Amino acid sequence: MLIRRDAEDIREIRPRAALGALVVVCAMLVLVVRLYQLQIVRGDEYVSQSIANFRKSLFVPADRGQIKDRNGRTLVDNRPSFDVFMTPAFCKGKERDETIDKLKDYLHLEAEDVARIKADYQKSWLSKDRLERFKPFLVELDIPRDQVDVVEAHKTEMSCVNLIPTPHRSYRAQQSLGHVLGYMSEVTPDEMDDHPEYRRGQTIGRRGIERRWEKELRGADGKQNIAVDAKGRELDKDTQEALIPEGERLVPATPGNNLILSIDERLQEAADAAFPGRAGAVVVLEAKTGFVLAMVSRPSYDPNKMSGRISRAELKAMNDDPLKPMLNRVMNENYHPGSTFKVVTSLAGLEAKKITADSTITCTGGYTLGNHRWRCDKPQGHGALNVKQALQHSCDAYYYALGDRLGLDAISDMAHRLGYGQPTGFDLGREIPGIIPDTASVIKVFGAYTRGHAINASIGQGEINVTPLQQAVAYAAIANGGHVWRPQIVERIESPDGKVLQEFKPEPDVGNGHNGEVGVRPQDLEAVRKGLVAVVNEPGGTAYRSKLSDVVFGGKTGTAQVVKLGGKQNLKTESQSYFSRDHAWFASFAPADDPEIVVVVLNEHGGWGAEAAAPAASKVVEAYFQLKRQKTGETVTASAAVH
Amino acid sequence: MALGTDTEKKLDHLHWPLVICTLIICGLGVWNLASAAKNTIDPFALKQARWMLGGFVAMLVFLFVDYRWLQTLAWPGYFAALGLLAGVAFAGKKVLGARRWLQIGGAQLQPSEFVKLAVVVILARWFTRNETGVRKGHYGLFDLWQPFLLILIPVALIMKQPDLGTALVTFFIAMTMVMFAKVKWRDLFLMLASGVGASVLAWHKFLKDYQKQRVLTFLNPQAYAKGAGYHAIQSVIAVGSGQWSGKGWGEGTQSLLSFLPEQHTDFIFSVWSEEHGFMGGVLLIALYAFLVLAALDVAAKARDKFGSFLALGIAGLFFWHAFINMGMVSGVLPVVGVPLPLFSYGGSSVLADMLGVGILLNVSLRRFMF
Repeated sequence: MLIRRDAEDIREIRPRAALGALVVVCAMLVLVVRLYQLQIVRGDEYVSQSIANFRKSLFVPADRGQIKDRNGRTLVDNRPSFDVFMTPAFCKGKERDETIDKLKDYLHLEAEDVARIKADYQKSWLSKDRLERFKPFLVELDIPRDQVDVVEAHKTEMSCVNLIPTPHRSYRAQQSLGHVLGYMSEVTPDEMDDHPEYRRGQTIGRRGIERRWEKELRGADGKQNIAVDAKGRELDKDTQEALIPEGERLVPATPGNNLILSIDERLQEAADAAFPGRAGAVVVLEAKTGFVLAMVSRPSYDPNKMSGRISRAELKAMNDDPLKPMLNRVMNENYHPGSTFKVVTSLAGLEAKKITADSTITCTGGYTLGNHRWRCDKPQGHGALNVKQALQHSCDAYYYALGDRLGLDAISDMAHRLGYGQPTGFDLGREIPGIIPDTASVIKVFGAYTRGHAINASIGQGEINVTPLQQAVAYAAIANGGHVWRPQIVERIESPDGKVLQEFKPEPDVGNGHNGEVGVRPQDLEAVRKGLVAVVNEPGGTAYRSKLSDVVFGGKTGTAQVVKLGGKQNLKTESQSYFSRDHAWFASFAPADDPEIVVVVLNEHGGWGAEAAAPAASKVVEAYFQLKRQKTGETVTASAAVH
Repeated sequence: MALGTDTEKKLDHLHWPLVICTLIICGLGVWNLASAAKNTIDPFALKQARWMLGGFVAMLVFLFVDYRWLQTLAWPGYFAALGLLAGVAFAGKKVLGARRWLQIGGAQLQPSEFVKLAVVVILARWFTRNETGVRKGHYGLFDLWQPFLLILIPVALIMKQPDLGTALVTFFIAMTMVMFAKVKWRDLFLMLASGVGASVLAWHKFLKDYQKQRVLTFLNPQAYAKGAGYHAIQSVIAVGSGQWSGKGWGEGTQSLLSFLPEQHTDFIFSVWSEEHGFMGGVLLIALYAFLVLAALDVAAKARDKFGSFLALGIAGLFFWHAFINMGMVSGVLPVVGVPLPLFSYGGSSVLADMLGVGILLNVSLRRFMF
């Protein structure tokens, strides 16, 4: 009975079971359709996503281009070194603290470094971008060999620490080229926003050549594709090869291009050795092209140190140094030119026919206008002088009178044409324009123009301010017959295998308003050059003591007043405090008959130009010709060897 | 009648398609586990095979006993299951924030897997013994308070562990059985409606944050890419990247490189789909469909109500596990921890599943006797 009833019940179950079977089939079909959608319709998309999962790109840094001098001597290249990086995602909490403690120990880190590392860790951990914590950040740059060994030995206990072999900049040139070459330091987040090709921890050129030619020097980083597991660990070689096709494993880096500078390193050395002062500048230009042969700005910084591990204390010391070692005095500081400016007044006078090469002005020991008397160096007076003699003796009274006759605007116009008062266009970063006043600017500043302004300007005092680079450009123009060249320092760009990619030609400094020409009569330039040759080579010339026996060269001394001393000017240099001493100038060209180079020396607070600047310039000239002789000698020997 | 011919007869009446289907799933499961656990030290596949062998032997032994004996065992079994669940609640081993396991000697037991069987048996017994349905011709909603109580106690205990997936599956299995009893369609809809109401209540009152998170993640996985949605996304990537024929055994990058979470347990189907593609996936779906349909067939042909309900319960067990697991892995359902029967690694689940198959075989075998 019970069984029969069961049988009825089961019969009732049957239609429901059939319905259930239908539901089951439908549900399973839903799954099949879903699989079809995922695997067949969108399969390709998921394949690429699964590849993207395990594929990681490691970046292969490009070798930065070398910097060489004109003779092919290497000034800057790269050396192998190791940087320490840390990936926040791979060490958390206690492990992080232990790792940082170990790093502190192994790398001899200072408390401030530890604070910086912790801050960087925290920053990337708290970043909105969750992937940020997987990006390694820089712990320490360029660690010494023995520390590399220590970190290597403890690698397994610090899983989040990586030693990355990175070529580092090696500045082989001496420190006096610091301002020319610049240095490297880590890119900032802002820079990375503008230039996405840079990665965190990479360096970028700062100042000088490194900064200006960053694009050429940098090259393009390569990429290495590796396979990693879900925790980011690199897989073994066999798996790598199975997962990543051979053609995609490595995209090699493109090394940067090499720069060949117009600098002659040996002349640079000579210039640096010859310069006697604590601070100042030496500029040597090719008179006929405007290419820079040597450029000293003292004090300088050590690019190796700036590019590597400089402590905050050292940086602070540099910033606090009253001599401002980060300042490139060649182009970013201006000074009264003092008597070196008399060439400008002379040329303006000759052009305006206020004087001729032979006409004279009598020096009575000063120049009186109204109730003010401007004194000459020689209280008893130089007597009657022509322009050559006025330059030779650096007679102030002659120029006071000439300046008074010319007026400020004539002097100003000639100064601008010679390259003063505006940037020279030198392509090495920021450059200041200097100050060349005219009546309009004087009225603006002082309310009224008086003849006294022209008189002060005539000897390079008053408001006149120039950079050593402008002096070099102006004296080069006087020496080469009136061409105002834009100074250049890069001669050519070469590919890593030595192919010339770009060669630089001399370029006129069109910023002078006259298409790079001074535009004065050749005989007027000749008259001025004669005076400059007399300065060095004729008894009574202010730089007669710097005369060379084998080379005839010309130049002009200058002593720029820093502090107004009232009446008495003949204070001994030694008896004044350093920062109130005069600046010593000497601007010169050599050789006298067919000038090849211009040498400008500025000895900041050095005192008298004749004593503190001219001898240095003389040594540089001597070194130039010695090197030249050596070079031709080498060529002669070389060609002799061929025969 | 000699014993030999009796056994022979029994063998003739054995539901062979069901046996073969089970054996194929077991074989593929072990083979797949060997791939999923390729780079781990634990010999998961070997252990799984051992569990299966144990399950198989238990199943064979069980075949010699009439399943009706389970009616006697229903209450003790039910209370034993509840006792185990209570044991878990007090002395359970905590893994990843949930108490789901009992440590018994050297082995770990997941009682919730056996609770499902116990619930199936006790409900089958209730629907067999209770006369109300027969008397009235159908069950009214209030006639079902006893079975609901029987269901809800273990479900609540499992929820407490917390194990949302198992709780849901247990509930679904029980509801499947209820649907096959003489309940009016109207009442079924009423239950469905109250179920929706209950889940809304559960959302606000009982669900843990991480459980809510899972549901939210299911609704919008991209928004949780690196967090809770990570599992769902990686699983879908694994399945999708299998394409037509898969990457080949042991070649699935998603599983090999551990991008898949829980790849040898809940996400085992993504390993399978990644390595064997659409064809492999459809094959496995077909095998589970066959298993469930065979169970329904056994239910329809059973010689008594108890056997029929037992088979229905087991059908529900396989169906809900397979559907929810594969649905979750392929991203049609939210991520809830439900194993794929005989495919996911786990001794308790394998044993319970084998016993389930044993019940089916037993019921189908016994209709030719007496």
